[in-house]
Amino acid sequence: MEFKLEAHRIVSISLGKIYSARGQRGGLKLHKNLLVSLVLRSARQVYLSEPGCPPEPPPAPAGHPEEEPPPRTAAWAAEEPPLPPPPQDEAGRDCPGPRPRRCCCGENRGGCAGAPPPPHCPRKRSAGERGQAGSPLKKPRREEEEPPPLPPPPSPPCEQEDMETGNVASLISIFGSSFSGLLSKEPKGRRRPPLDGGEAAAGTAPAEAAAEPGQICCDEPVLRTLNPWSTAIVAF
Amino acid sequence: MEEDAETRKISSSFLRDHSYATEAADIISTVEFNHTGELLATGDKGGRVVIFQREQEVKSKNQPHRRGEYNVYSTFQSHEPEFDYLKSLEIEEKINKIRWLPQQNAAYFLLSTNDKTVKLWKVSERDKRPEGYNLKDEDGRLRDPSMITVLRVPVLRPMDLMVEATPRRVFANAHTYHINSISVNSDYETYMSADDLRINLWNFEITNQSFNIVDIKPANMEELTEVITAAEFHPHHCNTFVYSSSKGTIRLCDMRTAALCDRHAKFFEEPEDPSNRSFFSEIISSISDVKFSHSGRYIMTRDYLTVKVWDLNMENRPIETYQVHDYLRSKLCSLYENDCIFDKFECVWNGSDSVIMTGSYNNFFRMFDRNTKRDVTLEASRENSKPRAILKPRKVCVGGKRRKDEISVDSLDFSKKILHTAWHPSENIIAVAATNNLYIFQDKVN
Repeated sequence: MEFKLEAHRIVSISLGKIYSARGQRGGLKLHKNLLVSLVLRSARQVYLSEPGCPPEPPPAPAGHPEEEPPPRTAAWAAEEPPLPPPPQDEAGRDCPGPRPRRCCCGENRGGCAGAPPPPHCPRKRSAGERGQAGSPLKKPRREEEEPPPLPPPPSPPCEQEDMETGNVASLISIFGSSFSGLLSKEPKGRRRPPLDGGEAAAGTAPAEAAAEPGQICCDEPVLRTLNPWSTAIVAF
Repeated sequence: MEEDAETRKISSSFLRDHSYATEAADIISTVEFNHTGELLATGDKGGRVVIFQREQEVKSKNQPHRRGEYNVYSTFQSHEPEFDYLKSLEIEEKINKIRWLPQQNAAYFLLSTNDKTVKLWKVSERDKRPEGYNLKDEDGRLRDPSMITVLRVPVLRPMDLMVEATPRRVFANAHTYHINSISVNSDYETYMSADDLRINLWNFEITNQSFNIVDIKPANMEELTEVITAAEFHPHHCNTFVYSSSKGTIRLCDMRTAALCDRHAKFFEEPEDPSNRSFFSEIISSISDVKFSHSGRYIMTRDYLTVKVWDLNMENRPIETYQVHDYLRSKLCSLYENDCIFDKFECVWNGSDSVIMTGSYNNFFRMFDRNTKRDVTLEASRENSKPRAILKPRKVCVGGKRRKDEISVDSLDFSKKILHTAWHPSENIIAVAATNNLYIFQDKVN
């Protein structure tokens, strides 16, 4: 359990570093942020693989054979066999269409348990409008505000206890997908157009649909809507 | 070291001394001796370069063994803060590296770089000035040509020595990422600049184009797993260079094989020790500096906790590993929190490649004698060393009873870090940068 707490703490610290790196003089330091994301990934792996009642058990991404879903979260366990993704429309960024796994970033677990994904398009759309220019102060707060309005999911055995933990855990899953190269198996067919170095891709085209079921597909639209941390990673 | 501390006297002189609170702009960010050791250049966070010159040796009856000391020779503003309007980013003026060119005439040339732009500076002396112009008077005001009745020939008259630095070349707009290294080639015609993902080759005469010789940028930036952390040319073979990565690997490349040296000729990596695995294993294995030995036979790498010496002929492991401050291994989480784990320490060889030196915290720096396998920890601080005093070896107490002169790990000051050091090319003179102070230590043998 201590490992879990330590992992959680390290994740929080890492996210804080990425967040504060956005405003520093001289621009994003690629090397340091890469190292921070590696630590984040290690801590996340430990966090997710430790037994115990996780406040926010996100499903393991496809490329992680070593991760086992926590036994108590039956709702998640049902998730594990690859599900065909709900019909996605990648058209525009208005409603990027949550995928079965990635959408469970703390907000709508209900969707993951098999129910049709709840409509959080409005949230994503408005977040998308914020784009890069959104005030950093607003984003974390929004992040915390959003989960309650969503339709109540069939509650998994372990509800998230406090919003902060939920945020951290949800961001764990985001980062788990966004650095696919760091995972043991690369998901095939990553479709995002390559970013120009150092430029925040504020206006690039939305990601194409994931090809395979159970694919990690937390791509730009989802990333950007959620919070500034993910935007910082995308900006590489 | 060959001599004991007792028989060896070290004199220290303090330069760039600031009694006030540390100004961020004064923090020294690079230190480099020139090829003869006569000049010592420092760059700081404010974009300034200060060059020290060793005074001529004074042999007098009073001080028969007095060696030349270093005095300020020239100061100039090398880089200014800039703004990248396209990316809305400020470009820091901090000097990341200075490298000297070998001297070919009366002037001195050095390269200095910040995150984006490399500049070639010419430092020259002027001790004569022309007098007796016809068309302007001594103040520089133009004279009315109609008032001139006599013509004279201007003559050169001696003046007080003036050292002037002029930027001769500006190599800009070639790096998307932050430049971390520059290295002058042994052909003295080309040099390379390395950023996080690319290495470019320049000709000194041509500023509007450079050749990209290494590119490790992935097509999809989300697949990025490693960056370039340092690069250096071989001291004698102008076709060979090495670059280190954040994954703890070193690649040696031969420019004769291909225009783009993405495929290495040699790959140096030590297998990881699984017993030391932690959350921070990847960070502490990231190499912060790589240096060829003067002989060209070895390379030395610095990662967070160790210095390693590699033989170019053996790729699977280093031939020597030295622990710099292994007592920090249990503190990695705290060092991660306060960002110290990201500190980039440099390492240097002495002139004969027998001793290597690197910095640590609490203004400590360490020297390792490769032959005797002895090592010493010294401190660069005003309180603990007066000029001409012998530097006393320091010791960090790791656990158990702390002896009288030892320092416990918990009382180390992590804000006092020695990242940059330099060793004179042929003598036992070292320059140590401790935040905003420069310490120069000389070895005196009786």
